[in-house]
Amino acid sequence: MSEDDEDQSPATDLRSQPPCSPNKSRNCISSSQTFPDHVLENVLENVLQFLDSRCDRNAASLVCKLWWKVEGLTRSEVFIGNCYALSPARLTQRFKRVRSLLLKGKPRFADFNLMPADWGANFAPWVSTMAKAYPWLEKVDLKRMFVTDDDLALLAESFPGFKELILVCCEGFGTSGIAVVANKCRKLKVLDLIESDVTDDEVDWVSCFPEDVTCLESLAFDCVEAPINFKALEGLVGRSPLLRKLRLNRFVSLEEVHRLLLLGAPQLTSLGTGSFSRGDQSQQEPPDYAAAFRACKSVVCLSGFRELMPEYLPAILPVCANLTSLNFSYANISPDMFKPIIHNCHKLQIFWALDSICDEGLQAVAATCKELRELRIFPFDPREDTEGPVSELGLQAISEGCRKLESLLYFCQHMTNAALIAMSHNCPELTVFRLCIMGRLRPDHVTGKAMDEGFGAIVKNCKKLTRLAVSGLLTDQAFRYMGEYGKLIRTLSVAFAGDSDMALRHVLEGCPRLQKLEIRDSPFGDVALRSGMHRYYNMRFVWMSACRLTMGCCKDVARAMPNLVVEVIGSDDDDVNRDYVETLYMYRSLDGPRKDAPQFVTIL
Amino acid sequence: MEGCPRSRETCPKLLDLIPQERKWYHDEEKNNSDQEKKLELRLAPPGGDEEDHSAMKKKKNLDTRNNIKKEAEYKPIFNLSGNHFSPSNKTTYAPPHISHKRTAPGPVVGWPPVRSFRKNLASSSSSKLGNDQINKSGEGEKQVEPKREGMFVKINMDSVPIGRKVDLNAYSTYEQLSFAVDKLFKGLLAAQRDASGGEGEEKPIIGLLNGKGEFTLTYEDNEGDKMLVGDVPWQMFISSVKRLRVIKSSEISSALKFGCSKQEKMRN
Repeated sequence: MSEDDEDQSPATDLRSQPPCSPNKSRNCISSSQTFPDHVLENVLENVLQFLDSRCDRNAASLVCKLWWKVEGLTRSEVFIGNCYALSPARLTQRFKRVRSLLLKGKPRFADFNLMPADWGANFAPWVSTMAKAYPWLEKVDLKRMFVTDDDLALLAESFPGFKELILVCCEGFGTSGIAVVANKCRKLKVLDLIESDVTDDEVDWVSCFPEDVTCLESLAFDCVEAPINFKALEGLVGRSPLLRKLRLNRFVSLEEVHRLLLLGAPQLTSLGTGSFSRGDQSQQEPPDYAAAFRACKSVVCLSGFRELMPEYLPAILPVCANLTSLNFSYANISPDMFKPIIHNCHKLQIFWALDSICDEGLQAVAATCKELRELRIFPFDPREDTEGPVSELGLQAISEGCRKLESLLYFCQHMTNAALIAMSHNCPELTVFRLCIMGRLRPDHVTGKAMDEGFGAIVKNCKKLTRLAVSGLLTDQAFRYMGEYGKLIRTLSVAFAGDSDMALRHVLEGCPRLQKLEIRDSPFGDVALRSGMHRYYNMRFVWMSACRLTMGCCKDVARAMPNLVVEVIGSDDDDVNRDYVETLYMYRSLDGPRKDAPQFVTIL
Repeated sequence: MEGCPRSRETCPKLLDLIPQERKWYHDEEKNNSDQEKKLELRLAPPGGDEEDHSAMKKKKNLDTRNNIKKEAEYKPIFNLSGNHFSPSNKTTYAPPHISHKRTAPGPVVGWPPVRSFRKNLASSSSSKLGNDQINKSGEGEKQVEPKREGMFVKINMDSVPIGRKVDLNAYSTYEQLSFAVDKLFKGLLAAQRDASGGEGEEKPIIGLLNGKGEFTLTYEDNEGDKMLVGDVPWQMFISSVKRLRVIKSSEISSALKFGCSKQEKMRN
């Protein structure tokens, strides 16, 4: 709205407007010089800057061409849920001033070895395109992407203001790539390596950080399976006054953590404790670990315990009262050791643990952690026919004690419908419900019935449910419930479930918000696949492996839906079974099928 | 739905795609008609007869081991892809398979859905004292260091000149170890027999722990004594084993000559 605008060239879609309409502000000078649309564009730019939510931005960009253009100019954070839904070139053409990119690659089932390596999701084309287009890029957050050391080097060199690198479940790089980033990104605030596969190139990457004071606020390397130079780390922590989050890997011993805490404990808000065992086995008197933790006055998030020596666990007691997040999922802790700790964690909202804490431990959680929002119980021994230390008893207790529960991931050997029904009534805030009964096709072990009613109650009563993963013995009826009541479900994971095509049809013909569908080893075939054709364009992806699909049907779908990329993974062409589809992965794409598909992928 | 033939004749039956050699699929199936009935689209809402029938069926199959019947309904599909990936694939990817045998269903790729770095907890921290009641003694401490790197012991088999090494940290039960021994030596043994004029067919090496098989698994402990594998709790075994040997069951008594008294003591 400033006077400068009048000097600039008019917008191409200039329309003849009555000059100086009464609505114009007094800042507009003479009527013959005003270009209303150009002014509007600037107004829009200024206003749209405040729009953060990408849903709002997507909506705004649909209003008209002008809004579309201006929104494209002002969007600084871009989210791409599937890296193959569009090409990097399209990204840089549409959005001109991107500062932050969140990019997701492989589908989730790739984590469980259901997809061969080298499938794709390479970061390389993205980083090379962005290197030219976005010199002011500050943040890259990747999930399940294949990132090489060269990619990291290019990133480090191309973006002088680079601040945040977050790699979740990624692979393809090693400590040498990390070293380059540490060394060249002088403004680096965040370096978070989470659950990624980092090869040990035997490079001392910690020493590669610049010598002077750093901007580091968060450093997470708990997944890096390589020893580190502790002295260098000590030095780094000492010259990083802004460091708030530090997650160490298992090569850092308790004594070393102790030393680090003495250096910088009061500022830390999040601590990953490394191995939590003594490196030095000699008979020396161990230092006062509790004192070190007492100094951690700001720590609200605690994780690590990668090789826990349980006798030292009580050292964390001083921080328990402040904890909002506690991750014990690498520690084999017995109920007796666990209960004294959890009794102090009244403020806990996020809790991850192994099932070694047993139902007894879960009862203790239920008794104390009234603010609990997220619970994840992982199996210590992930096999199918073990006895299983957690069961419906633990789940029942949690549902009764933790009424604010929003997100659940629970691995167990046995479950009952009754417990699920109880949870559906007790925890109305549930948005994520993922239950994995590890024994395949297990019914309710008390009544012998299928788990239909339990999951049915969850979808019926938890009205905010957006993510669901089912297991155990399930008939088509369960899916009927899902289709009918799962009004907000966006992500659905199915394994070894259902009786017939009807099950999948119920879901595809119901569940209006379904975006991500992943199915394995279930008897769903062509009929079911065809029944969803009216909606695949509105979904992010569909994964079906070891189901009953035929090549013919998949080809039909591909033909009928040209903007859908239909990938068939693993089926042989010259086998008698050529009609059988091992794995189907399909997703919408604006730029057609990808060019980097490996040999075992057939794009129909 | 559109254009999909409802009649059974034109619907491609996946059963027909299975080559004749894999007869065992057909043999295992109970009723083809029963199965096809389940696949058939119905106009009636799901539930009712079909549901009661299947619920009844399932009631009888409470135990997973007996759920082969349920699995039988769609088993064939899963094994069709058995050979789609070359064994030389360096990655850990393996084609999914569900055991069709009438024993416990075999392990399936990617199930339970736990990421690989969470799967090794049982073996790598089995020496940790958290939940373990057996070794609260100082022995637990001693084990901590080697456990981290992997505990490789030599293993030899009678009549096979090539010895191997096994990482005992990769297992937490005797069954797993026995299975691993079978895998290690099955091929070598067959090759050996072939070379010496016997039958070269690969036979599974079973009964290693109960004395009923052709071979028995023994070990030498840290005191030099030779013992039968399987008598003591796993943790105790791990803490004292130095090397393993697979011997012919017929030669047990002579092989354990020097360890006899100790073995008897342990049995008592």
